[in-house]
Amino acid sequence: MQQNRRDFLISAVSLGGNFVMGISEAGVAPEAEAAWDTDSANGTEFTPWIKISPDNIVTVRVATPDLGNGVVTQALMTITEELHCDWGKLRSEYAEPRRNYMEDDVYSKAVVRYDHGFFARSTEPKRMAILLQAGASARERLKEAAAQAWGVPRAEVEVSKSVLTHASTKRTLTYGQVAAKAGAVRLDAEPAPKPHQEWWFLGKANPSRMQQPLLVNGSAVFGIDVKVPGMVHAALMQSPVHGGRLKSYDFEKIRNMAGVIGIAVIDPAEIRPPIGLRRTPYPIESSAPQSGIAVVAEHYWQAKMALEALPVAWDDGPGTQWNTHEQIVDALSEAINKSDTSGKVLQSRGEALRMLESPQRPVEAVYHVPFAEHAHMEPLNGTALVTAQRVDVWHPSQQGQQAHIVAAQESGVPPENVHFHQTYVGGAFGRRTFGDDVRMVVAVAKKFPGRPVKVIWSREETMRQGRYRSIETARLRAELGPDGMPVALHVRAAGAPGFFPRYLHDGPLSAGLVEHVHVETRVVPIHVMTGPFRAPGYNSNAFFSEMFVDECAAAADMDPLDYRLKLYAKWPDPAWVKCLTEVSGKASWGSKLPKGWGRGIAIANYGMDGKPMAGSTVAAVVTVEIGPERQIRIDAVDIAVDPGRVCYRDGVTSQMEGGALFALNLALNEQLTVANGRIVEGNFHEYPMLRLSDAPRRISVHFGAVSGHSRMAWVGESPMAPVSAALGNAIYAATGERMRSTPFRLQS
Amino acid sequence: MAIQLTINGRKQTVEVDPATPLLWVLRDHLGMTGTKFGCGLAQCGACTVHVDQLAIRSCQFPLEAAAGKQITTIEGLSEDSSHPLQKVWIENNVAQCGYCQSGMLMAAAALLKKNPQPTDADIDTEVSNICRCGTYTRVRAAIHQAARLMNA
Repeated sequence: MQQNRRDFLISAVSLGGNFVMGISEAGVAPEAEAAWDTDSANGTEFTPWIKISPDNIVTVRVATPDLGNGVVTQALMTITEELHCDWGKLRSEYAEPRRNYMEDDVYSKAVVRYDHGFFARSTEPKRMAILLQAGASARERLKEAAAQAWGVPRAEVEVSKSVLTHASTKRTLTYGQVAAKAGAVRLDAEPAPKPHQEWWFLGKANPSRMQQPLLVNGSAVFGIDVKVPGMVHAALMQSPVHGGRLKSYDFEKIRNMAGVIGIAVIDPAEIRPPIGLRRTPYPIESSAPQSGIAVVAEHYWQAKMALEALPVAWDDGPGTQWNTHEQIVDALSEAINKSDTSGKVLQSRGEALRMLESPQRPVEAVYHVPFAEHAHMEPLNGTALVTAQRVDVWHPSQQGQQAHIVAAQESGVPPENVHFHQTYVGGAFGRRTFGDDVRMVVAVAKKFPGRPVKVIWSREETMRQGRYRSIETARLRAELGPDGMPVALHVRAAGAPGFFPRYLHDGPLSAGLVEHVHVETRVVPIHVMTGPFRAPGYNSNAFFSEMFVDECAAAADMDPLDYRLKLYAKWPDPAWVKCLTEVSGKASWGSKLPKGWGRGIAIANYGMDGKPMAGSTVAAVVTVEIGPERQIRIDAVDIAVDPGRVCYRDGVTSQMEGGALFALNLALNEQLTVANGRIVEGNFHEYPMLRLSDAPRRISVHFGAVSGHSRMAWVGESPMAPVSAALGNAIYAATGERMRSTPFRLQS
Repeated sequence: MAIQLTINGRKQTVEVDPATPLLWVLRDHLGMTGTKFGCGLAQCGACTVHVDQLAIRSCQFPLEAAAGKQITTIEGLSEDSSHPLQKVWIENNVAQCGYCQSGMLMAAAALLKKNPQPTDADIDTEVSNICRCGTYTRVRAAIHQAARLMNA
């Protein structure tokens, strides 16, 4: 990899730039922001990832938006491993998608999956390698510049905490002092980053996330907080029935309301320019515009009041065929009951269907989960300034590269003239990935050229215009062998268009543990839109699978832990048994509980895709108390995780704790229903969330089963299914009744 | 109509429809965006501020009701992030995305003001804010730790 400072300078002056995350910014003054190429008084760029300024600040460009998962802190830690920065003198800013576009995918092309360039984790292996190399190469250039200044061999220069030292002559220079010279140094050979066995910082340091200081005093700038001079505000309403069209509206009724400036109609039928030859991270269709209308006013509250007063009529379209939620549930049941060949076969091995025609020791269960909304705390929003020549967008995206291209296509302005400014993100969980939100923002703002427009979805609009975790019904059937272990498995699952089959066919049962397997899926043409949701597919299918394993254990008359130890011992990844042993020991599995209490266990792996020694394995024990009125109180959660190696321990711990709560809430509380084609639930009184009062008092994350395998897999998704399945299994242990559909609180 | 407010100790006059929720006056008219919009129905608590030392949800609190009162927002919790809650929040790596944390901190600060040694049950009652990232166990531990610091 060529690490010499880039031999060309970009002459374009960027209005853009990004939020410097270590520094508080009250507002966005475009002229105050630097161009991305900064070989200037502001600092020297060593690679597109690292800039060092004369005041000895090392700035790291991070492509992956931090959603609260610690990816920015992780990236700074990775750079520090080789560059030996003073942690207090590190800053980060988001890498620019526009630069990525104009400089041959400089931030995304070397990453394993193209769509992960501006997405997902900082520990993606190629990204780790890039950052470690960038840190090592910058370090050696700094050392060489200091060596030349002192007339000593480079090998005699030491680095620590952003300071270069020549020990024998007691001379020191800061990185900032030699940065300009170091940037011009050409090395004969690039240094090799040290092997992970020699890491001194990664896996050892455990800092607070670097954004914490700005999050506790309100100065972090989320998308909804952006201020641009001359900015106006829009309240948005889209067809209440997904896929419907705006029929009519009467602007005259609101024209004279306080602050009202105008309206913007978003028409999906409007011709949008095709995307050129360049790839988008995700299909551009996944960001398709929805028919809608927005009221633009001086202030948001005025816009919202006027939108509520605006007479609007909709052509609801075919979605109204679903009058009641029961019709949808029935259609899914019908789909899994049909024994035709209409579905898609994802996995077929051996004679599963034949064996299950006349089973000797059958286990069978039907599971169901409803549509679920991400319910990130920051409602959907964005700000855009569109002119014929140039677009600026400020937005809390989960994938800035996608958002950049979507903004270009929606505005018709070429991507090289679209400046995308990543903001802080108030939760995402998959919702802000495809860029349908940024499209609607630009679609509104382009109707007011030259004027910055901030578009805010109300909570109700956010919730009813989601891209939900799909509703799904699945039948699992197994034949148990003489030892109680499954020898044949048949899975038939049905969901809305776009539902994720992950783990039905590539979990350990289907991928190898069971000899005879048949897995098929059916899609029911429901109009409600779906999308990725924390651990797509896994949060439903691994949940089903691990509650089904519990039913198999009961049918085999075995303890749920013993059954799993025996079952997963055959999976060629010893961490599964280790995680089960670790978590059961820590949770005192088998010890006596008071009457009405129960303990459940489950284990699954996110990211394995059918393979051992991949992804993150999580085993969980949930302890519950069932009250006299059948109230479910979760007492404690224990988790043992194996992501391979752990770089940032408290980052992983936080993700396990948060993932556990997310999983518990999903299983206990969450459900969207449909009436007359519309999503019924609109706010938190109808879509309840766990709070301090009903959250478990204790969530303990155990690291005793970490395998040390070379991968550093994703972690945030992995608790989603084991924790919810362990909850279901704990309720069974306490009551003797199986919970097979969520939300559990409605069933109990 | 001009309305006088005292925000974080500073007198300010705003010319805004008196029915406007205090939240939007703070955010849109005064540019104080530390107070967050989460639900608009006083359900989630992201918009929590203090009015005369009581925690209120500003999305359902009309401007006119705040006239002449002492309002404290997250920007005024301390001058320099030195409130014990802010310190232990950073130290314990509490926030994930952080969006709800302004409101969480303001709810916790109001609780500690009237009850310097809260029990778990007190916290359950007084800090009912929603955090979707799931920071509750750390929030609870941090409130107890801040209480110990303040009583030391």
